[in-house]
Amino acid sequence: MDSSNSADSFNIRDYLRLEMFPHFLCPGCGHGIAMRALLWAVYELDIDKDKIAIVSGIGCSGRIGAYVDANTFHTTHGRPLAYATGLALARPDLHVIVITGDGDSLAIGGNHLIHACRRNLNMTCMMLNNEVYGMTGGQASPTTSETRYTTTSQSGSIEPVFDACALASAAGASFVGREVTVHTPNLKDLLRDALDHNGFSFVEVLSDCTEVFGRKNNLGESPEMILSQKSKMRPSSYGSANGNIVDEPFRPTTLPTGILTHKERAEYGDTYRAHVEKISGSVKNG
Amino acid sequence: MNVIEKDAAAIEVTTGNDVKNVLIVGVGGQGVIMVSKVLALICQDQGHNVKQSEVHGMAKRGGTVFSHVRFGEKVWSPTIPKGKADILLAMEWAEGLRWLNHLKKKTGTLIADTQHIVPPFACLDRTRGASSGYTTQLPGDILENLHDGYALDATGIATEIGNFRVSNTVLLGTLSAILDFPVEIWRKVISEMVPPATIDLNLKAFDAGRSWVEESRKVGKAPEAKPEKKAKKQAPAPKVDSKPVDKDFELVLTPEWCKGCDICVKVCPERCLILNAEHKVELSKPDACTGCRICEWLCPDFAIDVVKDATKTNQTSASA
Repeated sequence: MDSSNSADSFNIRDYLRLEMFPHFLCPGCGHGIAMRALLWAVYELDIDKDKIAIVSGIGCSGRIGAYVDANTFHTTHGRPLAYATGLALARPDLHVIVITGDGDSLAIGGNHLIHACRRNLNMTCMMLNNEVYGMTGGQASPTTSETRYTTTSQSGSIEPVFDACALASAAGASFVGREVTVHTPNLKDLLRDALDHNGFSFVEVLSDCTEVFGRKNNLGESPEMILSQKSKMRPSSYGSANGNIVDEPFRPTTLPTGILTHKERAEYGDTYRAHVEKISGSVKNG
Repeated sequence: MNVIEKDAAAIEVTTGNDVKNVLIVGVGGQGVIMVSKVLALICQDQGHNVKQSEVHGMAKRGGTVFSHVRFGEKVWSPTIPKGKADILLAMEWAEGLRWLNHLKKKTGTLIADTQHIVPPFACLDRTRGASSGYTTQLPGDILENLHDGYALDATGIATEIGNFRVSNTVLLGTLSAILDFPVEIWRKVISEMVPPATIDLNLKAFDAGRSWVEESRKVGKAPEAKPEKKAKKQAPAPKVDSKPVDKDFELVLTPEWCKGCDICVKVCPERCLILNAEHKVELSKPDACTGCRICEWLCPDFAIDVVKDATKTNQTSASA
């Protein structure tokens, strides 16, 4: 890390479209914190703002792109990864960052997510998981915990929950991580590693929705919701990745956090370009 | 004559003068109990009647731990009264000072590690540059007024050997030079007590502690030369706590962006932020703010910025 890019000299206003502020997110929404962590990671890596392309879908998470002073692309519901695939193939010099939500990426765009993971194209996908479709009125999403009340699960959700990180890892993403918003510096570190990774990196951020989810489920005000994230997480350094499940019996409902998958795989853009070169060469020779 | 003195007198009558009292004090996690166990086993091996008692558990790691070891022909009470300890073995400098009144005034010996472990309670004021409240008394001042005293940087010696955790064995080595037991039995008991993988390391540490005393005795044969010998081997004088410095940061609030979610108010460790009548963030206690940035990180509306004043940061680092 460049010593000049320390936490002391990071000014988030350098990365914001100030004329659009204050932003539209509800009071206490964790998405703002995740946005700070992302921009902080960008700052630490010293990436030029012109070299960032933020592609976002529809939803509260999708609006984050509108507030960042970079190349931003607000796309259709569930399809930011499809747009980003084209963009990353056409412009490999850009840092493509996809900001998506739990409903956006796991339900509506679930297909796009698994195929983006499978291809391992160089981009970073930040999924903000607030367990609900916030913007459209609080419908249940694939990550809504069981027994939770939403507008489409009036007597409590009965559907099992998607583990997005396990899904991404199984689909072939070469970098998968999870972190909570309340540990902002850790989230920043994770996003920095994800941005630095050559290949598809998937980061799930456990965010909170106070207005349409927390209130309905009696989870307290935003400070309580933010702080309760601490009891939901289980740092992966506890060793469950190595088969050591020493703390599993005591905290079976917690989610592992930190870097969960980190492997080297052929990056799809490189493979694609090499393939194109090979074919065009054979055409010329033939 | 108060109750404690009466008890002490009674003990003296029943036990006579043949009972030796060793008080071992330190901070939880340093190995106080291990040292006292080694000592008790050695005394037992040498045919003494031994009583050992300790307070531990409540202290947890980082709290104060002490252990009484009494040995002699016949020991009745397991605890050492005030002013009756022959040897005070302190694994931490402030703990040594805390228990100093248990040492025999005329014949007591102090063995102290000069390392500092500042307890969390001493850091209640988290302002940058604030005094930690740790003792400013130096080993030289204390040892001058004692019959016999040894202040060594046992943790430094242990670190040199390879692991700071064996500092307790270094102090055992020092103790072995003062007590009249054969070296072989010390080495044997230590080898039995410590984890098998660390036996060599611990024996090395033991030798280092023992030779430290022998060396310092060589240097100061004449009694008047004592202060010099101690001054020579003492750890460097601890830094005197500086006065609180000017704040090198500023909390910049943007009330127009604040939505009054209350997160900053609840997470601030110093409780120095409030929501005003308009439900906007306000700094209520500017002096209490330490610039820890937690509110800045957790404000979803970017309404709080901790701006570091680079000129002041440079000044403080230059003067320090």
